[in-house]
Amino acid sequence: MNGGRRAPSSPRTAGEEAFNGAPKRRWPARFNEAPKWAVEDPAVFDLEIERIFEGPLWHVVGHVAELDAPGRFKTTTLGRTPLILVHGADGRVRAFHNSCAHRGTMVETRFRGVADGFECPYHRWFYGLDGSLRRAPGEKEFPESFDRSGHGLAAARAETFAGLVFVSLHAEPPPLQDWLGTIRPALRAALGGDGRLRLLGYQKVEFAANWKVYADDEGYHAPLLHRAFRILKWRAGEGAQRRDPNGHRITRTRSDPQGSAGLLRDPDLIAYRGGDAPRNKFADQAAGSLLVTPWPLGAIMNHLDVINARFANPRDAERTEVQYAYFAHLDDDEEMARHRLRQSSNLIGPSGFISLEDGAVFARIQRGLHSRPDTTRYVRGWSDDADYDPFDVSQNDETTNTGWWDVYRRTMGYAR
Amino acid sequence: MAGMGAEVDPQVRGLVRRLEERYVEALDGRRMEAWLDCFTADGSYYVTGADNDADGLPLCLMMDDCRERLEDRVTFVNEVWPGSFEDYRTRHFVQPVRLESAGGEPGVYRALANFTVFATDARGRTSLFIAGEYRDRVRVEGEDCRYVERRVVMDTFTTPGVIVYPL
Repeated sequence: MNGGRRAPSSPRTAGEEAFNGAPKRRWPARFNEAPKWAVEDPAVFDLEIERIFEGPLWHVVGHVAELDAPGRFKTTTLGRTPLILVHGADGRVRAFHNSCAHRGTMVETRFRGVADGFECPYHRWFYGLDGSLRRAPGEKEFPESFDRSGHGLAAARAETFAGLVFVSLHAEPPPLQDWLGTIRPALRAALGGDGRLRLLGYQKVEFAANWKVYADDEGYHAPLLHRAFRILKWRAGEGAQRRDPNGHRITRTRSDPQGSAGLLRDPDLIAYRGGDAPRNKFADQAAGSLLVTPWPLGAIMNHLDVINARFANPRDAERTEVQYAYFAHLDDDEEMARHRLRQSSNLIGPSGFISLEDGAVFARIQRGLHSRPDTTRYVRGWSDDADYDPFDVSQNDETTNTGWWDVYRRTMGYAR
Repeated sequence: MAGMGAEVDPQVRGLVRRLEERYVEALDGRRMEAWLDCFTADGSYYVTGADNDADGLPLCLMMDDCRERLEDRVTFVNEVWPGSFEDYRTRHFVQPVRLESAGGEPGVYRALANFTVFATDARGRTSLFIAGEYRDRVRVEGEDCRYVERRVVMDTFTTPGVIVYPL
């Protein structure tokens, strides 16, 4: 439990007893099943806020390329907590609760901007970029004990890796390097080798689905869903998935878009220009994709020449907001940056030529979930005699999903 | 006021109005070839969010900056995507705001219009889908009038799900 946070706000259903603080609900015994109640029960969502979004782990919330100069800030929400990420005058990226230390008013409402500090409109308390309280009008009338140094914006833990900004609302998360574990090289590779990026812009969407429905699909790509892949005659199968014990996933493919120009009048949509430069994925991948999904909700994708990070957050148990941020590499020449821009704009995202089906299926899954059977089943790549949890599996197998769910189950405290 | 200068000829105004009608009828009637026909051979079509637009960020949700890309969009809507999403019916409402000569280019006009698109799902439930602004450059040659560029800037930059059809 993390000290000082509020308890789940929904009352427990009569007859439910606590197991390790969690409602005593039966998690399916079989490793390749996940219970449908986990994606529709509002009480589960309350517990997720406490155990996951405010729990002792790290969440991907941004990239330093979005905060490209001192004073540049972006606001976001982690679970239910409003945050400001800001590039300080000293070059450090910090995260603060977006809430005045006085009466709790949100101090910044813009999504992104440049500021020399944050002023609360309610009583004009003014905070510096380092979160410290600089001015509080009428201070003479405050009690003698009032000390500005004790009334700064509450900080959240923030650290960066390859430019990605990770935040934890918990006081004692594990060291970030340990949390990321085996996915560090893949994260670096997906972010252009070194994370030195330039922001191209955003695509933002709200899906009418639980955040786990989104996360469950985002880490693995249902090949049958992607009609565009078949029509483009992209070769499948030359890929592999790896999962990390902390629940993160890596999916890499060597899809080959050659010979597909028959359908596309503008073949640049799927042209690969990255060459052998280390700033594109792993050296042996050439074209293809590298998708890294830090548990629980992060997604970093390098596909062809697209460098994309998806920052997602639940709005409630049935709505998930996803911000797709796209980047060029700082070493790109003008032509390469232009190519990335043209490819990024039309390839993926909420109206992307090859990704639209993903987004379209989320709401449909959610609406189908209050139903029998009472579990969802993962079958592809699963073996009948196994009660195991594989770490290396083929592309498109559903077995990394089972690993994701087991980390979820353990984090939430449900007994199998 | 940016719209200073000579009043646009009523005949041109009528042609631009007719183009707007063709565009709405094409999209709401799900006739993608007719949509394509609203653009000049060198025409382009962009959809972006007001967030990117205000921040000077060039990324779009649709960046059809040449004829080939416009044609690819027609292919995807007509041939690739059907069956893989929950279909929805659209109704476009367009309010012209300004029309003026682009200056410099003879026969080219700049137009600004507000729009809303309502979407209706398979269960007959209607909701406001996207609101925003059309920023257009229109070329008039005799009776022929088409978009050289239509830039759709969505106020609704956090979209309610996927956008299948052009706006």
